[in-house]
Amino acid sequence: MLNKSSNLRKVILGAVAGAFVAIGTTGAVAYPTKPVTFIVPYSPGGGSDQQARRLQPGLEKALGVKVRIVYKTGGGGAVGFSELWRSKNDGYTISNVVVPNIVITAKGKDVGFDPSKFSYIGMTARAVGALMVPKNSRFKSLDQFVKEAKANPGKITVAGVGSTGKMNMADLAGILGIKHAYVPVSGGVGKMIPMILGNHVDAAMTASSHATKHKAKLDTLAVAGPTPVATLPGIPNVKKWGYMTTWGVMAPPGTPADRIKVLNAALLKATADPKVRSMVEKNGLSPMRQTPAEAAAYVAAAVKKHSN
Amino acid sequence: MIEGLMQALSPGYFFYLTLGVLIGMFVGTLPGLTATMGTALLVPFTFALPTGEGIAMLGGLYVCAMFSDSIPACLVNTPGTPAAMATAFDGHPMVQQGRGQEAIVASCFSSTIGTVFGAGCYLVLAWPLIEIALKFGPPEFFWLGIFALTIIGSLAGDSILKGLAGGAIGLLISCVGISHGNELARFTFGVPELRGGVSLVAGLIGIFAIPQVLSMVTELRKKEFIAEYKPKGGETFKTIRKVVAHPLHLLRSSAIGSFIGILPGAGSPIAAIVSYNEAVRWSKDKSQYGKGDLRGVTASEIANNAAAPAAMIPLVTLGVPGSSPAAVIAGALMLRGLNPGPELFQSDGALVYSFGWALLFAGIVTFILGSLFAPLLVKIIRIPLRLLAPLIMLLATIGAYAIRNNIFDVYIMLGLGVFVFIVRRFGFHPGPIGLGLILGPIIEPSLIQALYISDAVGVGKVFFTGTINITLITLSILSVLFVIWTRRRDKKLQADGGERSN
Repeated sequence: MLNKSSNLRKVILGAVAGAFVAIGTTGAVAYPTKPVTFIVPYSPGGGSDQQARRLQPGLEKALGVKVRIVYKTGGGGAVGFSELWRSKNDGYTISNVVVPNIVITAKGKDVGFDPSKFSYIGMTARAVGALMVPKNSRFKSLDQFVKEAKANPGKITVAGVGSTGKMNMADLAGILGIKHAYVPVSGGVGKMIPMILGNHVDAAMTASSHATKHKAKLDTLAVAGPTPVATLPGIPNVKKWGYMTTWGVMAPPGTPADRIKVLNAALLKATADPKVRSMVEKNGLSPMRQTPAEAAAYVAAAVKKHSN
Repeated sequence: MIEGLMQALSPGYFFYLTLGVLIGMFVGTLPGLTATMGTALLVPFTFALPTGEGIAMLGGLYVCAMFSDSIPACLVNTPGTPAAMATAFDGHPMVQQGRGQEAIVASCFSSTIGTVFGAGCYLVLAWPLIEIALKFGPPEFFWLGIFALTIIGSLAGDSILKGLAGGAIGLLISCVGISHGNELARFTFGVPELRGGVSLVAGLIGIFAIPQVLSMVTELRKKEFIAEYKPKGGETFKTIRKVVAHPLHLLRSSAIGSFIGILPGAGSPIAAIVSYNEAVRWSKDKSQYGKGDLRGVTASEIANNAAAPAAMIPLVTLGVPGSSPAAVIAGALMLRGLNPGPELFQSDGALVYSFGWALLFAGIVTFILGSLFAPLLVKIIRIPLRLLAPLIMLLATIGAYAIRNNIFDVYIMLGLGVFVFIVRRFGFHPGPIGLGLILGPIIEPSLIQALYISDAVGVGKVFFTGTINITLITLSILSVLFVIWTRRRDKKLQADGGERSN
């Protein structure tokens, strides 16, 4: 009994001393001390959900508190983004962000948030655009695709996700000098794969991560960007085609800089985990490491690019 | 396949499967907690388990939720998930007639039949079936939606016109929010929350639960309980005998459910609706449908359960989930570094098959637990209305909020509920409105996509060629003609009867 209580006293003393040390070193209110809410603005099972689930264990370990994932879906992400916009900016609510989706959904529309004003914590992974066809397609190469599109302008159907896919495909069509019929699919790439597998459209516009995942059943004609994609060997890249989807984490506008710093450090720790890295690379994504300033500049560049 | 069976039969595996089923029972019973939400919430807890056990637990939850959603559908006329809407059409009248135990046991047994059939398809017929499913493109989905709409004919009650108007109201409500494809805000009236559209789950709770609560309150003086109920011994076996008395009906409902489950994006709610419609069409005596026909409950429950394992078929053959809970299970696999798709058959064949067996066993475990709990569950209707009404109100509010953590969905639920309560007095049935809400998200995007494809290929070729299109169009036309014909005949019979009694 005596032994036990003296142990207890030691623990209490230690805790008090520890608390003093903590206050002494940071000189500010300790953060975080309660669970952090992580908004996922897209349905479970998609790319955003995967990012959140991938980061959750690492973030919890680094922050020392629970990270609660909540889904606020609808309006192509706009519902979740505007929810974060209205949340308290104390660092206890953060959200997934997808660039350029957040910029394009907000462009010229009444969505209730301004993508340039959020406090960005960092981008974690990105995938370049990919043009896919079914394995049994009459198109075996990009040249063949371009040739037929030029011979029959507007007769080749290409599916993509909403207006983001539309713009993406328009970019590529402009570079290749072709005309196509765009077929918008809502609800993400998952809905698009059966359409392309069943030959209901001639081609589909997705990202390299999806092209990697469906390699067994679908062929990729081209990927975007200056270099080929490692998980898609032998697939030509269109240098001038700069399309890219980026996944990251953000906080409401005006979140204190020191808290963003804590969150950024936790994010970098989570993404540095070899397990997380291999998951990212296996899925055909390129890992990214950013400071908050770099992340903000990244979004600002996307806003600028889509402003005209 | 045998290796998978052995894996699924190990005690630890069975334990987690049963645990998943138990959680599913709870998730399905509460309106607003859908199978999608349930599986998504459970995923983090399965990480401590080996992959096989982890996804078996998720599969067990999914299968059982497709049964237990019929409990509130039957007892208080509020589907626990959208998939149980058609179950309520006959399940609730059965309860009102004092046949509550029969309704619950029947839906439990049908759920097991459906699950076993669907899981059988997953284990044996996955590859040939997916080939047929892939033939469904935008125009085929459009015609499937139109075909499913013809069920209004058997739901409408006295006036077919009011039924059609109800369906149109439902379809219009499903159009609210940011549009498919080009992301334009429609019918949002400057209200930011409406951009996300009307949540299907909150909408259905509003349409079914709120008018129910309101009429309980207005009828308080007339009756004290929903219905009389006395537990009866031997009811389980009697009911099972009644269910298996229609083998063709069981087979048809199972086949419809499995096939529609495979179509990516259609899922359990559509499967149940089409199956119910076909049950009505193929029955000789249709007079009891909507008034407590056991076959109405079994048609819906068999199909929505068969669709659950079937929705896993596109996941393992194509890497594309056939329903939202299947998407969550796909996510759980990916987090473990497994790529759901055809490669999984080669790399982890035993896992793919053990999952199929797990779904099958989940169906059987659901029956055992469900029939044990049935007498207990039915006691809910013996709760005095003055206590039951606020209880349902509380659950409805929590459910509508929980689906998206959005208080606005609660307002939508209340608004729609009061609206339906009022129009019900003018002879409108909530069924067609709910039908429009469920089918809108299938019909509208597929129509838009098919029209865009028509730009390149031509409208005639897109909409009116191909075996599936022609078949669905023919079935829809026949379906409408059939409704017109039976209504005429019934009117004539009534008129004749009237003359004779004079």
